[in-house]
Amino acid sequence: MILQVKNLRCGYGSLEVVHGVSLHVRQGEIVGLLGGNGAGKTSLLKAVVGLLSPWHGEVMLNGRPTKGQPAWRSVSNSVVLVPESRKVFADMTVRENLILGGYHNPDRKMDLDVVLELFPRLGERLGQLAGTLSGGEQQMLALGRALMARPRLLLLDEPSMGLAPLMVKEVFSEIKKLRDLGATVLLVEQNAAATLRIADRAYVLETGEITLEGPAGDLLHNPEVKRAYLGKGHKEVEE
Amino acid sequence: MSIFDRNSETMPRATLEQLQLERLQALLARLKRNVRRYRERIADLRLESLADLAKFPFTTPEDVADSFPYGLFSFPLREIIRLHSIMGPKGSTLVVGHTRNDLVHWGRLAARQFAASGMTPNDVVQVALSGGLYRGALGYALGAEQIEASVIEEEPHCIEAQLNLLENYRPTVLVTTPTNALALMNAMAHHRKDPQSFHLRTVFLSRPVAGELWNEIRAGLQVNVSCNFGIDEILDPGFSVQCEAGRFHVNEDQFLVEVEDGELIVTTLAREAMPLLRYRTRLACETPREKCSCGRTGTVIMPKGRLDNRFRVGETPLYEEQIAQVLRSHLKEEHPYNHTVAGDKLVVSIQMTPAIFSDMIWQLEDFRRRMVTDFLDRLGVVAEVRFVY
Repeated sequence: MILQVKNLRCGYGSLEVVHGVSLHVRQGEIVGLLGGNGAGKTSLLKAVVGLLSPWHGEVMLNGRPTKGQPAWRSVSNSVVLVPESRKVFADMTVRENLILGGYHNPDRKMDLDVVLELFPRLGERLGQLAGTLSGGEQQMLALGRALMARPRLLLLDEPSMGLAPLMVKEVFSEIKKLRDLGATVLLVEQNAAATLRIADRAYVLETGEITLEGPAGDLLHNPEVKRAYLGKGHKEVEE
Repeated sequence: MSIFDRNSETMPRATLEQLQLERLQALLARLKRNVRRYRERIADLRLESLADLAKFPFTTPEDVADSFPYGLFSFPLREIIRLHSIMGPKGSTLVVGHTRNDLVHWGRLAARQFAASGMTPNDVVQVALSGGLYRGALGYALGAEQIEASVIEEEPHCIEAQLNLLENYRPTVLVTTPTNALALMNAMAHHRKDPQSFHLRTVFLSRPVAGELWNEIRAGLQVNVSCNFGIDEILDPGFSVQCEAGRFHVNEDQFLVEVEDGELIVTTLAREAMPLLRYRTRLACETPREKCSCGRTGTVIMPKGRLDNRFRVGETPLYEEQIAQVLRSHLKEEHPYNHTVAGDKLVVSIQMTPAIFSDMIWQLEDFRRRMVTDFLDRLGVVAEVRFVY
């Protein structure tokens, strides 16, 4: 198990937003974490990487507890977070963003070629300022920048946010490609249909609690998921 | 013999316990939200480890009966695509429902059993369970379909028709009850049919049999014999897998088992329509903590019989209270009686008292005949009623 979370509780000030969550991610899986606004998805991710101190419970990376470790440590533990809204360095070029992503990686120059092969569009814009890229391209840059750190676990926070439907499709197909290359991904999303189509397993987080979990294919047919996240008749719409 | 779902059936203990904890926490959140009966009982309880489950209340068969018909359903009825009745305490009726996912899981879990018994896509499987009160036929058919075997879900109307079916359709696996298997064996002997002239390779029995009876069926039909151990209210078949070593392994990725005072307690971890928390099965069992050579890591379970007054006449389950109910409708006052089971027959011996005595033999005979008819009509069992002094 790459990531194991047990009974995690965390929050802000005196407000608890994650109420005892347990989940795990195995090597080579894409695991979806679905939930609406305010469900606690981002807080959970922050607690996993150490940006938020857990109040209670345990986070284990590669079998080792992370308690008390600063956030930067998680990168050397090969865990990389791609934050919500991309957060690329707008005033730096695409190349600089990518090289910065591989700050800890002594083979970053070699890995740059691999990343550019994976995202050829970034290769065409290497010298361009990141802030001038389209939303979808910025998302790919954020993914590429994360890959430069050679992560064993990639945490993606709402990669579809603010993207046009066609671009969402493209980004998700890139994420699927990453899995095929052996990457392990925890994908936090509101877009349940897109997530469940590429994930192996998924969890549903509601008001700080996991209420459903299982193989992604099963969740696609779960009446509660259909009603709350996919919308009635979603299949017909897709077809 | 193969393992159908290797990841789940041979999962390392630590991984399994993490999965059980996650599923249990999700289950509790759903129960609190969707089932009033549970919301009232577990609202303030928190579960942080599997050991914490002991703090949660039991669900008894009586609770399920009190919630008849849909009180324990976790989904509105429009999401339940299959319903069936089973027998509850004192012969009451319980309703079990399934969502679409429940049926898919049921098939996968039954397929685990079939794969363990050696079934392959080349097999032709006949499911013949004598209908009636046993509702597992659907689960077996779904399981065989998952294996991609050919399924014959057909109940021949008599044993000769069953023999014809074996000759003509050439099933290689027969899913049936021990009673049917014995009847088939006797019919083969009666008609001087050589068991080897059929294509049967495996007989899959609907309930556990061991020792002499198991050997008798195996030798009489000259087949491999595998058994099912399921629980009507939980899942039957699909609760456990009998491995080649003859041990029943609980499908622990789906069901969490505890043993309390010798009674098997089961929590369903992934059932959608009717999840049950700490269900008291009224079944005695042992769970020896030992490794099995088959490689499965699910807890080994040894069923030891029932802890309530339910018993079987042939394959029909009965509660003592049901006998008393039938007698009460014929006798004006309480009469001492006792009952025994002789093969497929219920023998009820009623003490002759002045209240029912008559010097007219035909009246007594008529009285006896009406009771026998009632046992058959109301309970589905052939009964012999005797008056004793």
